Amino acid sequence: MAEKKLSKKALSSGFHRWYYGNLTCFSQEHMQTFGYLCSMLPLCKELYADDPDKMAESMDTYRTFFNTEPQLGAIIVGVTAGLEEARANGAEDVDGETINGLRAGLMGPIAGIGDSLVVGTVIPILLGIAMGMSGGGSPMGAIFYIVVWNLFAYFGMRFLYFKGYDMGTKAVEFLVGDIGTAIREAVTTLGGIVIGAVSATWVSVRTSFALYNEAGEAYMVLQEKLDSVFPGLLTAIFVIFCWWLMAKKRFSPLKVMGLLVLIAFVGVLIGFFNPGLSY
Amino acid sequence: MSINLFQAIILGLFASLSSMPGLGGTSIGNYTLGRPLIGGLVCGIVLGDIPTGIMVGAAMQVVYIALVTPGGTVSADVRAVSYIGIPLAMIALKSYGLDPASAEGTALATSFGTMVGTIGTVLFYGTATMNLIWQHMGWAWVDKREYDKLPLVDYVLPWISHICFSLIPTVIMCMAGEPVVNLIKEKLPMDGIPMKTLFTVGALLPCVGIAILLKQIVRNVLDFVPYLTGFTLAASMGINLVASTVIAGMFAMIIYKLKMLELRKPAAAASSAAAENGWDDDEEDI
Repeated sequence: MAEKKLSKKALSSGFHRWYYGNLTCFSQEHMQTFGYLCSMLPLCKELYADDPDKMAESMDTYRTFFNTEPQLGAIIVGVTAGLEEARANGAEDVDGETINGLRAGLMGPIAGIGDSLVVGTVIPILLGIAMGMSGGGSPMGAIFYIVVWNLFAYFGMRFLYFKGYDMGTKAVEFLVGDIGTAIREAVTTLGGIVIGAVSATWVSVRTSFALYNEAGEAYMVLQEKLDSVFPGLLTAIFVIFCWWLMAKKRFSPLKVMGLLVLIAFVGVLIGFFNPGLSY
Repeated sequence: MSINLFQAIILGLFASLSSMPGLGGTSIGNYTLGRPLIGGLVCGIVLGDIPTGIMVGAAMQVVYIALVTPGGTVSADVRAVSYIGIPLAMIALKSYGLDPASAEGTALATSFGTMVGTIGTVLFYGTATMNLIWQHMGWAWVDKREYDKLPLVDYVLPWISHICFSLIPTVIMCMAGEPVVNLIKEKLPMDGIPMKTLFTVGALLPCVGIAILLKQIVRNVLDFVPYLTGFTLAASMGINLVASTVIAGMFAMIIYKLKMLELRKPAAAASSAAAENGWDDDEEDI
């Protein structure tokens, strides 16, 4: 029997189905499971065209729950495409159990790296740059983000999928290995600096608190004093305060927002905050 | 400024494409169309005022700059933020006659948008729950080996969930928004305590968005140094965001090289140690 080899067309179709459909039919019970099934369908159809029983056995493998960061997760789908091909060729050490063991073992770490690197760092950096280009309501920034992010996402995912197919689990080692770690650390620092610049540019917490002398002239304007220590000090303090509440005190974001409403209300009452508007 | 039915339906379609389990897919739908900055561009085009749309979108983008997963880290839903919150905030700005580029304009837009976004979590749970019906049908088809019907489950049937929980709610809320905004304006004067609080909250809320992102980067206090460096670049030195990114890239390059050196060194040391051992073994053999 000739060795079965997945055609470029089937692989490409499998990739595009994952690229588009990884989360389109999301439910909290099955998350990305149906996206995965649809992505494997053209591959299984090609490999088991003449054997409906094997086809069913193979498709049943992918009924198992799956959820990860879908963009970086393209690599896992690629790896299983390679494994499925090996199984169709009768590799003895590849069965449904090994494939699912691998999927379950990879989806956690890939979700962790993907959420912090792609969603938590690359996207905010691109958005930060885009916001810098949006001054005065210019659409340049938004267009920049649309173009750069989508090229990065499409070709990045395509690269990962085919790397996964070609190299199998070795491809994943690249992500968690030395170079991967060094890149992650560098990008995290880059992200930290950009986010600092974004918050100094777009967030402005100001106080209206001031002390007045008998003639009614302000002799101590708190905002000016704070800014002479470190420009934007009050903004930085509030950001770090929110971080402290969530990271150290385990507050949920919604709870922090609630607390900020309370702080705003009390601050307005005692004259610490005053947007100074009237009409 | 008001929104007519046709405009509301277009916004509703974008809402269907952009939400977390959205029909535009993850990269194009959620992470492109769902971002408030892009939502601002779309709303600006649809409502015929691109600069206001972009300014409102950018202001709201700060709050939602981190990972936004409904029911997860941020209880908000991007379709509601971008395609209900932004249009309503635009109407509010016009109605109050505020400049969207001013601090007050940004604050008003942020409070309006965030309130709507938080309520929007309901839409997420609605869509995800309704999708269970299609998935149930999907399992039945898999059991019967009718695999060709799977794409129907993943790509077509979820449109019904989105018509119910993205399109229709967006149309209703956008159309009803104008009278509600006018009512608020009539009942709550801008120099009263409630509106002052609302504006102040709007200025404070972006701190939460930034803090959520920092939670992923900052493990100990020293990790605040890059953040504060960026803050200093922009606030004290007046360097713009694009130029700040270039400087940040320089630091990232240094860290990458240092890290590679640090990681490669033990490996190199280990291999030279192994070579020495090999030499010793040889000597003993002799």
